[in-house]
This record gives sequence, C-alpha cells and structure tokens, in this order.
Amino acid sequence: MALHESIDFVVGGEKRLTDVLSEIEVMPLLKSAAQAGLELAAVVDDCDVPLWTFGPGSAVAGSYLHEGEAVESRPIYLAGEMVGKVYLAAGRSTTADVLNILAQVVGDAVNSMVQTNLKRMMVTEIHTQVVQLSYDELLETNRLLTESEQKYRELAQNLEIRVQERTAELKQLYTRMLQQEKMASVGQLAAGMAHEINNPLSYILSNLKSLEKYVGRFVELVNFYDEQTGVADHVKLRSAALEKRRSLKIDFILEDLEDLFTQTVSGAERVKKIVADLQGFSHIDTAGDIRLDVNLEIERTLSVLSSVIPADAEIVKNLGEIPELSCQGPLLSQAFLNIIRNALQARPQGLKLLIHTGLDSSGRIRIVFEDNGPGIPQDIQRRIFEPFFTTRDVGDGMGMGLTVAYEVVTSCGGAIDIQSKEGQGAAFIITLPIGGKT
Amino acid sequence: MIEYDQDEKKMVLKLVYYGPALSGKTTNLLRLHDLLDQDGRGGLMVLDTANERTIYFDLLPFFLEAPSGLKIKVKVFTVPGQVKHDGTRKAVLQRADGVAFIADSQVQENLNNTNSFENLERNLSFVGMDIEKIPLVIQYNKRDLNNIIAEPEIRGVWEPTGIPVLMASALEGWGIIETFRSLAEATYRSIDARYALKADHGLSLASFVSQLVRCDQNSGL
Repeated sequence: MALHESIDFVVGGEKRLTDVLSEIEVMPLLKSAAQAGLELAAVVDDCDVPLWTFGPGSAVAGSYLHEGEAVESRPIYLAGEMVGKVYLAAGRSTTADVLNILAQVVGDAVNSMVQTNLKRMMVTEIHTQVVQLSYDELLETNRLLTESEQKYRELAQNLEIRVQERTAELKQLYTRMLQQEKMASVGQLAAGMAHEINNPLSYILSNLKSLEKYVGRFVELVNFYDEQTGVADHVKLRSAALEKRRSLKIDFILEDLEDLFTQTVSGAERVKKIVADLQGFSHIDTAGDIRLDVNLEIERTLSVLSSVIPADAEIVKNLGEIPELSCQGPLLSQAFLNIIRNALQARPQGLKLLIHTGLDSSGRIRIVFEDNGPGIPQDIQRRIFEPFFTTRDVGDGMGMGLTVAYEVVTSCGGAIDIQSKEGQGAAFIITLPIGGKT
Repeated sequence: MIEYDQDEKKMVLKLVYYGPALSGKTTNLLRLHDLLDQDGRGGLMVLDTANERTIYFDLLPFFLEAPSGLKIKVKVFTVPGQVKHDGTRKAVLQRADGVAFIADSQVQENLNNTNSFENLERNLSFVGMDIEKIPLVIQYNKRDLNNIIAEPEIRGVWEPTGIPVLMASALEGWGIIETFRSLAEATYRSIDARYALKADHGLSLASFVSQLVRCDQNSGL
C-alpha cells in the first residue's frame, strides 16, 4: 500500500453537485413529479445545464429553464453555495398552486438529499482517512517491531560468539597476570637470593684475598726452608726434606696456587655479577614507571639468559645511543626476554642474532631483533601474537611469549612489527615513544 | 494547504479550531454562525455526534470575493478534542491554512491544554507543517467560570511567543468574533505573502476581514 495515496486525500474537499447526487436518487423523484402531469421536471447545474430531466418536454428542456408563468424553480445548496436548481414546468392541466407545492417538495427533497449525502460522504472520507492513517501507523509499528525482533535475534545468535570472545579475552588476561605474577615471584626470589648470596659471597671474596696473602707467606717460608736446608751440613736432613717436598708435590702446588686463586676469585666475581644482573633484570626494587636504559635492559636480559644461550650462538649487538625511556621496567625486559627466547627456540643450533638499537626518523626508539631462524610463514605472521598460538610441540611452549611481548610493547605506547620471509630469518621491530605511553 | 485555481479564479482556505476535549470548539462555531450575518456564509454542518460530542468534525463555510473576481471560500473546521480521536484530528488538520487553538481556562484543565497543544505541534509536523509558520491564534475560553487561570498568568506564558492570545466566553458569546478576526488577519498575511492578494487581486486585509466577519454593529460586539 503506497503511503502517498492517503496524503492527497483531503477531508471536506470541494465537491460538485454531481459528486453528491446520483441519477438513481434523483430520477424517481423527477419521475413522480412528472407523473403529476408536469411537462418537465429537471435538475440543472449552476450554469443552467440540465443534469437530469423527465417528462414530455425533456427533448426541449432548454426552452423551459427560466422562471416564467408556468415554470417554478428552487435553488440547490451545497454547503451554503448554490450549485444548481430544480426546474418544474407545468403541464396543460397543472394549476399554479400544485406547481408551487410540487416545486417546494422536490426542492426540499433534493436539498435534503444533497445535505445527507454530503454528510455521509464526509463521514466516509474521514473514516477512510482515519483507517488509512491507522493502517499506515500499524505498518510502521509492525516495521519497527520486525526491526527490533531482528535485532534481538541477531543479539541471541551473536551471544555465543561474544561469550567465546570474552572468555578468550579473560583467559588472555588471566595468563598475562599469571606471567606477571611469576615474574614478580622470580624477582622476589632473585632479590632474596641476591641478598642471601651477597653476604657470604662478600666474605668469601674478602677471605680469599686474605688467604691468598697468607698462602704467599707460606710459600715464602717453604722457599726459605729450602734455601736453608740446601746449604745445611746435615746431609740426612737435606735429603729427608727433599724427599718430603717431592712426596707432597710442593713444586706442582706452588705452580698451581696462582691459577687456583685467580680462577676462584674470578668465579666468585662472576657469581656477584650474575646476582646483580638478576636483581636488575627483575627490577624488584622499583615500582610503577621508571626511566630506563633500553641498552642496559638488553644486556641484562642476555646475561640472565646466558645459561640457555648455546655456545655456538653468535649474538651481535649494535646498540646505538638512545635516550632513557619512561616505562615499566620489568615488563619491557620480559618482552626482550621472550623475543630472544623465541629466536633461541627457532634455531637451537647455529643461531645468529643481531640486536640493533637506535632512533628512527620520527625520533622514536627502534629496537630490532633479527635472527637467522626458519622465518615466519606469511599466513601466520598475523597470528603469532594471538594468545595460545604456537607452532612448537606440545609442552615446548604455551604460545604466550610473543603475546606478552606484544601486550607489553603496546601498553608502553609502542608497536611491534615482523619482517620475515619463510626460510630467511625473522626480524622483530619494536618502536617505542621516548615519552612513554601518552 | 490552500487550494487555488487560477483559471477558475477560485481559492479555498481551510481554518481549523483545535484544542482539548470540551474546550468549546463547536460552541465557537455555533456562536459564529449565530453572530455573523447570513450573507457570505453557509450553514453550520455538524456531522454525526456521540452524546453531543464531536467525533468527526463540524464545518462552517464562508464566501467572499476579491475585486479581481477571485472567489475565496473559507472553510472553518473543528476537530474532535478527545484523545482517542487523534486519527481524525490528523485527517482534519491536513492542508490547514490557519489554526485557532481553543484552550479551557479552568485551572484543572491546564494539563489538558498543554497536552493538546503538544498534540497540535506533533500532528502539524506529521502532516508536514510547522507550528512556527502556520497562522495561529490562541483563545482562552470559559472566562465566565470561576476557578480559572488569571489572565496575567496566561499572557505571561504566551506573549513571549508572539502568538495572539484572546480571552473569550463562547457561552456568553464574547471574544468569539475577535478570535475569528484575529485568525483571519493572521491567515490573510500568510496567504497574501504567497499569492499577492493585495497586489494581484486588489484584496486588502481590511476588506478580507470585513467580508469574512460580517456582523451587525450592535449585535456581536
């Protein structure tokens, strides 16, 4: 149903006489009047054009349509306007009184008919109009309901998918929290251990130095005895001393002592450095945003990973001069750790890892980790940051390492990109704004 | 909206008496019918009613002629005020050239006035008209009753809008012609702006209003 049909329809619009009066209604009236012996009974419009006529004079109706001695007329009103007339022409035996009465009756009857019909038509018009409006409104209501039903149906259908999405999100958050928790625990453990180890280590180192000094003196004493027994008269004593010296392998010991001390002291000092790196890496003594040196973070991360870096791996560092960065310390080192670990896993033997830091053209820090691993196939490049996405065997990784790296970098306001071709290694490019997250 | 036939030199204008139920819209038309001269107007046509309440509309036609020979028919309609007849109100309101809003002065009817006025605004927009643009006058009817809203209060509310506000008692027959005259003036200005009644047809505001509001100097005012 077209809406415009109802719009041009105006209630109470202009009407002509023929709109409100029909032949079926008028003719019986004219016929009855004519049967009373009239020459002509006619209804004309406002220009005196005959609309309906009856009687012997019908053929020459025009000649009767004027008031005269044997002609009576009555106006027909439509809503107050004269729209036509009733004409009655007297027959041979019609008296003036009868003609007058007949004119009055027919005139009143036609006017009453017009009035009634007009009212009925207007009622019908308004009724039609209201029905049309209600119908249009119903259609509109129906349309809105259908729309809303459709929306709810879609909502119901999407609900399952949304639940799955939310569950995945929650899982991801939970895993990240776990990871962070783990990191924090490692940090706390490292701090505790560092404290515990640092104390004995410091007196081991200090004692070793004292011991070295003391042993030096013993050596001196032994040498002194040697010299003295060498020049002594007592042959028996001299040979006994030489014998004792041989059996005790004093010559070897004297030779080995220096190496022993050098190695022990350097070993202890390495322990000290490892502890310091662990402490630094975990940033256990800092909270919230800190200014940190990306290059130092990379050094520390490599140091922490030193035990798992195979001897044949070649790590080339090309660390440029970059300003300090404001971000959360432990998180960023974890991102580095995960990316380096990913490279180590990608190529367990013969890894060559190039680490480059510097500033890009727009003044942001740019960190590149480029390996010579198998590369990342094009079709999964987009997916490797997804949580739980992994190409490793079950048990080798849960697929969270790069996700965490991605989360960390983006949470610092940075971005992480991959450049890789299958079989030609992979490069992870991190860009970070110097001011931190804005 | 106006119906205008340049060839036949005919123009039909439609004025609508709008307002809440029982505010006296039909009584306004009855009074106009009684007070105005029979010359230049038709009979009041009251369509079927239920318990003497308008359910369709009433119609009072007027006829006037410009010096150019342009015949103007002015049809004055009422709408049913009852909330349930909103469909009829919309239908009657279509293509209106002017609206008289008949409010009920009684204090307890004020909310109904407000609701009906909002309904007018909504329905005008429904039939594609703007209440800001259509010629509009407001009549506060039933001033003969007690417990009515004070005139200063009414003027305080409506005068800032620039809409003419008239006090009336349809029952006592005063303020009715003034309301109709005010509506006729507003309508003339609007029609003249579009159809150059004065310039093209020599029909002045005074002539338009006096032809429309023909009454014996002694009877109406």
